[in-house]
Amino acid sequence: MGPIGTVIYLGLILVLGWLLTRKGIPWLAVRLGRLMGFRLRLTPIASKRIARFKRIKRGYWSFLVLATLFVISLFLEVIVNDKPLFIRYGSSWSCPAVKDWADKALFFADLSSFNPKRDFGQAGNSEVDYELFTRACEDTSVLDASIEEARDRYEQAKERFEKLEPPGPEATEFVRSRYEQRRVSLEMRERQYATVVQSKAWFEEGRAAILPTLYSFSPDSFRLDLDKSPPNSPDLTQEIPLGTTPSGRDVLVLLVYGFRISLTFALLVSLCGEVFGVVVGGIQGYFGGWVDIITQRLVEIWGSIPFLFTIMLIGSLITPTFLVLAALLIILRSWVGITFYVRGEFYREKAKDYVQAAIGAGVSDWKIITRHILPNSLVPVVTFAPFGIVANITILVSLDYLAFGLPSGTPSWGALLRTGLENFVHYPHLVTVPVVALAATLFMVVMVGEAVREAFDPKVFSRLR
Amino acid sequence: MVSYFVRRLALVPVTFLFITFLVYAIIRVTPGGPIERARMQLIGAAAQEAGGGAGATDLGEEFDLTPAALEGLQKYYKLDKPIPLGYLIWLGLWPDEQKEGRLSGIVEGDFGKSYRYGKPVLATIVERFPISIYFGLIGYLASWLVCIPLGVFKALKHRSAFDTVTSVVVFLGYSVPGFVAALALMLLFATDHFGVNLFPLGEFRSENWDEMWAAGETWWCVKDQISHTVVPVVAYMMASFAAMTILMKNSLLENLGSDYVRTAFAKGLAEKRVIFVHALRNSMIPICIGVGHAIGLILAGSFLIEKTCNIPGMGLLGYDSLIGRDYPVLMGLLTIAILLRLTGNIISDLVLALVDPRVRFS
Repeated sequence: MGPIGTVIYLGLILVLGWLLTRKGIPWLAVRLGRLMGFRLRLTPIASKRIARFKRIKRGYWSFLVLATLFVISLFLEVIVNDKPLFIRYGSSWSCPAVKDWADKALFFADLSSFNPKRDFGQAGNSEVDYELFTRACEDTSVLDASIEEARDRYEQAKERFEKLEPPGPEATEFVRSRYEQRRVSLEMRERQYATVVQSKAWFEEGRAAILPTLYSFSPDSFRLDLDKSPPNSPDLTQEIPLGTTPSGRDVLVLLVYGFRISLTFALLVSLCGEVFGVVVGGIQGYFGGWVDIITQRLVEIWGSIPFLFTIMLIGSLITPTFLVLAALLIILRSWVGITFYVRGEFYREKAKDYVQAAIGAGVSDWKIITRHILPNSLVPVVTFAPFGIVANITILVSLDYLAFGLPSGTPSWGALLRTGLENFVHYPHLVTVPVVALAATLFMVVMVGEAVREAFDPKVFSRLR
Repeated sequence: MVSYFVRRLALVPVTFLFITFLVYAIIRVTPGGPIERARMQLIGAAAQEAGGGAGATDLGEEFDLTPAALEGLQKYYKLDKPIPLGYLIWLGLWPDEQKEGRLSGIVEGDFGKSYRYGKPVLATIVERFPISIYFGLIGYLASWLVCIPLGVFKALKHRSAFDTVTSVVVFLGYSVPGFVAALALMLLFATDHFGVNLFPLGEFRSENWDEMWAAGETWWCVKDQISHTVVPVVAYMMASFAAMTILMKNSLLENLGSDYVRTAFAKGLAEKRVIFVHALRNSMIPICIGVGHAIGLILAGSFLIEKTCNIPGMGLLGYDSLIGRDYPVLMGLLTIAILLRLTGNIISDLVLALVDPRVRFS
């Protein structure tokens, strides 16, 4: 695939991602909502706010770009993966990258694929060498080396087998089993040799095909195809657009997978934290009195825990996984800030006439909270969210940077920054790449946040001149 | 008002006890403590003696601590006591057997001895204190010097080109964490990649600073100190710079739209006087309140920036003790950090009460 092909491929992915974000997912969300019995009609205030948000171009476009990139990143396994999208050899075929994706998406099911070499015209039982397969599709002469190797192995096995006499009836168990072993091994080598020879013919006849992904490297694959030992600086001629790390992993791959991990983590933590915070703040504000006084003290005490320190302490003792780290952060930190705002909103709304009327009419507490007060006190929740995401991305990056975060080997920006700190005198790309990516991502999230705040909670300044 | 502060103060010990107990319990419950470290050292030494022939895991069985030695170590590290009792000993409310049954804990000002340095914890921390304060204070003052004029100017030129451009810078500053900025600045200005090699690569001062100072090379020393200061200080500023500028701007804008400013204009005061004497003073209130919250950062430093720039302040001490499982130092640092934070919050309230007579706490 030449450079033009790559550009077209990339463009196609971007367009698909865009359509999915703008049309597909909203459509799906509306359908699902209707199925679940929600009446999805925007109130006049909400639609006014959304219109105001859309008018703030920098925030709106930042939101669209981020959302599109995130939606695309959900399909990374079929875009950036060392396994191909599709592979066919004779009558056997497989879609390893798609299976990889499904395995991740349906995390409860075990769908990972394993394609042994023997089914795809290569000698051995391990996973297919997809790179060799790809090259063989273009030029069958690359197979000559492996044919020669297989022949040599076959001849060696033959020689060793012929050295032995067939064991007579009085031979010991050892002699007999050795003879049997060598016979089996000879048969295997012969079969492998035949497979490889046949494969060249099949490749020439066009009975083999492969469709690689856009960028065929995985976060856990090492770039050993390069002239120099790692780390490598960015070099387009060797197809390492962003260089490699000291252990030989591709920085571009780490970057895109790290984007997904960072954003997923931040979204998950923010969402759970907000839900929990709204529940606590709502209870405080709605019931007030002693409930409020006691819980407020508890929240204050809990909020004074130096959470980063505590997470580092726990992270230095156990190696937290993604979910453990998210849970720690939710429990220790992310729900606290929002309770203060929600509590205030609930206090204000509860004092208003419409709520008092509802109470007087005998509406249940649950219904008053969910149907009356909650929809009217969501402004701080919404305006808080983008800044919460910024904070959570920063926290994850900091923890990974100090090596107290996700397990080593996870593609994360913080870990990339750490290798950058260790190597930045000689390999500046290890710092520049994650710094630029982090700054750009966070900047866009801040732009969204600023626009959301402006749209939901506008401040009008008037002054005399 | 007084009752409000009494209540706030009453909450301090509760919070303090809760957090220190939580951390103490985490340290005690989780594996990998000082005994584990001692055992590893023992096995490592044994493996070296054996010539590295057998794997360390095989030797582990053979050279493991004897039960008596284990007990001795547990006693030494006070791990033989149940968690609540150990915590009380640490606090100094329960007699300590190692000190002949005297009360000895943080209440008496005794933070114990560092596992790694062998020195008293308090001395170890106090040694690092000035370095953290140096950067924290300069960083905070510098951000005041930049943020207030910038915020005022942005408010006066609201919605102008200048406002928009500086807003982009401010939001960029908000989105980039301090240590990442330090890393980027070091790459830009402390290496040869971009042709500007102005500053050294981290550290508090050059290695031979003390010798040069003794030799009377004052000018060289000052220059050296300044060049080591710039990058961390800018990184420190990033932490508060954006929020403070926006706060300044919004608060001045709000004041400029209020009635008393209109009155001042109406009675014919000069614009400069109205803005800088009447409105500015009131708009400084939210910024002044921030002092209390910033105390923790000013005094205790940021371990992320200290780690990145390799500055041996309190933050780096905390990081190193976490890695080295130096729990007495860790608990000592935690104690100081919590106390700073809690007093900081109260100071903020006090400052607010002092500068703004309208505020009534209840």
